[in-house]
Amino acid sequence: MRTRSDRFSLWEYALFAGITLAVLCLCVCVGSVNVPLRETLTAVAEALRALVLHRERPSGLGAAIILSVRIPRVLCVALVGASLALAGAAMQGLLKNALADGSTLGVSSGASLGAVIAIAFGVRVPFLPFAGTTAMAILFAFFSLLIILGLAYRMDCSFSTNTIILIGVVFSMFVSSLMSVIITFAADRIQHITFWTMGSLQGKNYTDVLLTGAALLVCGSVIFSRWRELNAFAVGEDNARHIGVNVRRVRLLILLAVSGLIGVCVSVGGTIGFVGLVTPHAVRLLAGPNHRRLLPASLFGGAVFLMLADLTARILLNPVELPIGVVTSLVGAVVFVIIFYRSRKRVKG
Amino acid sequence: MKRTRRLAAILIAALLAALTACGTQNGSGTAPETASQAAVSEAAQAEENGSADGSAQAEENGSAEGSAQAAKTESAQEEAGQAGEAGSAQTAENGPITVMDMTGREITLEEPAEKVVALTASDCEILYAIGAGDALVGRGEYCNYPAKVLEVPSVQSGADTNIEQILSLEPQVLLMSTMAQTEEQVAQLEAAGVHVVVSDAQDIAGVYTAIELIGALMGKDAEAAEVIDGMKSTFADLQEKAGEGSGKTIYFEVSPLQWGLWAAGSHTFMDEIAGMLGLTNCFADVEGWAEVSEEQVLERDPDYILTITQYYGEGPTPEEEILGRSGWENITAVQNKAILNLQNDELSRPAPRLAEGAQMLYDFVYGSGD
Repeated sequence: MRTRSDRFSLWEYALFAGITLAVLCLCVCVGSVNVPLRETLTAVAEALRALVLHRERPSGLGAAIILSVRIPRVLCVALVGASLALAGAAMQGLLKNALADGSTLGVSSGASLGAVIAIAFGVRVPFLPFAGTTAMAILFAFFSLLIILGLAYRMDCSFSTNTIILIGVVFSMFVSSLMSVIITFAADRIQHITFWTMGSLQGKNYTDVLLTGAALLVCGSVIFSRWRELNAFAVGEDNARHIGVNVRRVRLLILLAVSGLIGVCVSVGGTIGFVGLVTPHAVRLLAGPNHRRLLPASLFGGAVFLMLADLTARILLNPVELPIGVVTSLVGAVVFVIIFYRSRKRVKG
Repeated sequence: MKRTRRLAAILIAALLAALTACGTQNGSGTAPETASQAAVSEAAQAEENGSADGSAQAEENGSAEGSAQAAKTESAQEEAGQAGEAGSAQTAENGPITVMDMTGREITLEEPAEKVVALTASDCEILYAIGAGDALVGRGEYCNYPAKVLEVPSVQSGADTNIEQILSLEPQVLLMSTMAQTEEQVAQLEAAGVHVVVSDAQDIAGVYTAIELIGALMGKDAEAAEVIDGMKSTFADLQEKAGEGSGKTIYFEVSPLQWGLWAAGSHTFMDEIAGMLGLTNCFADVEGWAEVSEEQVLERDPDYILTITQYYGEGPTPEEEILGRSGWENITAVQNKAILNLQNDELSRPAPRLAEGAQMLYDFVYGSGD
């Protein structure tokens, strides 16, 4: 079964990594405040030296902007983009549904609900001061997925596109009204909740980077290790069962991994639409439908897409920031239509 | 616009007619029509003649609103002095009161209002400040100052404004701002006999107008004038003491970093008061409240930081949170620990307490000693 084109060669991986790194450097060098390139490089070099030799970190305005504001944010954005795209690709394969994504299925709304509850009622995890929102977001993301998929399965014994998307939309509406109810009960925290639901990637620190990175590492490896099963699911659930996949277990495992990714992403940056939906479709044109190629390509593609979107959000209306969701939806919708149109045209000849 | 109002008028009339005209027979009288059909046709006829009660009032309201600026009554014109100045009032003892609200609509009351519903927090504060708090029979859900206002029944406000809730409190006057209510809602309320008065201050002069307007409605002109004079003298005093000021910069933070940095730019109360105290708002190039880039705050290096973030008694206080932000250690305000946290909306509401907030800011910047 394995052919040469089954997996990316090392060269291809190097190319992807190189592109991602180049975009990352661009995003670190360009921003709202113009920090000279030389200063940027010195700051990064000194910080690296300080990290290795345990010396004092460099000080000064330029260094502070680069090291404390821009780098953690760009890293966070890259990791969130990669996670969302990976989760989207996994869900699209698992459910054999081209429109599956955290935001279309209502999983992101579910995660937001969890976080809002945590803020409103002060849910906290002992020893971890800020983990309350994250834990609740992951928990609610998982249960939302279970509810949505359970309902869809009960209704027509399959995960067909229309049913599942409809249920996702209904679920999102239901969740948003629940949020309104909670806000009425916790009127004194309305300020926090309102700003939280708007979502922002500002003020991310290295703790957020580590959190997102760890989630991506754990959940990402779970998803990667199941590429064969995902290929089988993408043909059909029955097909997967017939070739000996433990359908129930694998599905549960992948759903857990996906809700972990989405929960962390929502708790870090709020709901960001379109990344998980558009990126896998775009890279599928490049990498083909095999999940062994599709998953890593989505990972890099999502990181690059979200970093560029965030760059636009940061510098377009300087000194005012645009919500990143505006940029991703604007660009994502157009790109989606172009891809769809071209691929249809090609099929028709 | 006109068309929607016409439609709304027809609908309201139809509803009213449906309630009253249950047994009405249609002119032809051959086939019995359903009540609603009859009501609609009746309403349409009434519209033509312009005589039916329900539609007449709604229509009058519609046209009055459209040409309010032009069709001012003479008395209102005299009082206004200059064309376009809103909020002027004419009060004679025991006579009808005519005021112009802050959208230029004219409202006439037979006597000072005794039952008022106020949807915005600032209007509630003004009512209490002029000693008319007892007239408040309903408040918007977010009104929280003074503490006494919390005893007043609350109604939904903003986008969720519930007309039934308001009507059930039977107010004579509804005070609200222009932000979220639709014209249809206003028409509904007017049709039910509630006088809708809009107070929508965008600057301190606007706050004076709002206080004057509410004072006139409540028959408390003297008290209102007193409140305004008090504010004016506080501001004048602070302005004089501050003089040219030190040219120092201040950064107004509306939300903490965790939720994205929202700052107050130009055309906000905070900006106006900063100017009064000889301070420069470091985000004066931004209009209104906006999410600004963290990098910009670091570069603009404010001498003072004012945050209006609320504190719920857990985790670091807003001051501590700002002091602990990484990368902010280079900012002058952070180095000098020159951070003020105002928790109670003193500087964000168009209400008399702006003077208190200005005093707090002055004491913080220049010291309260002298």
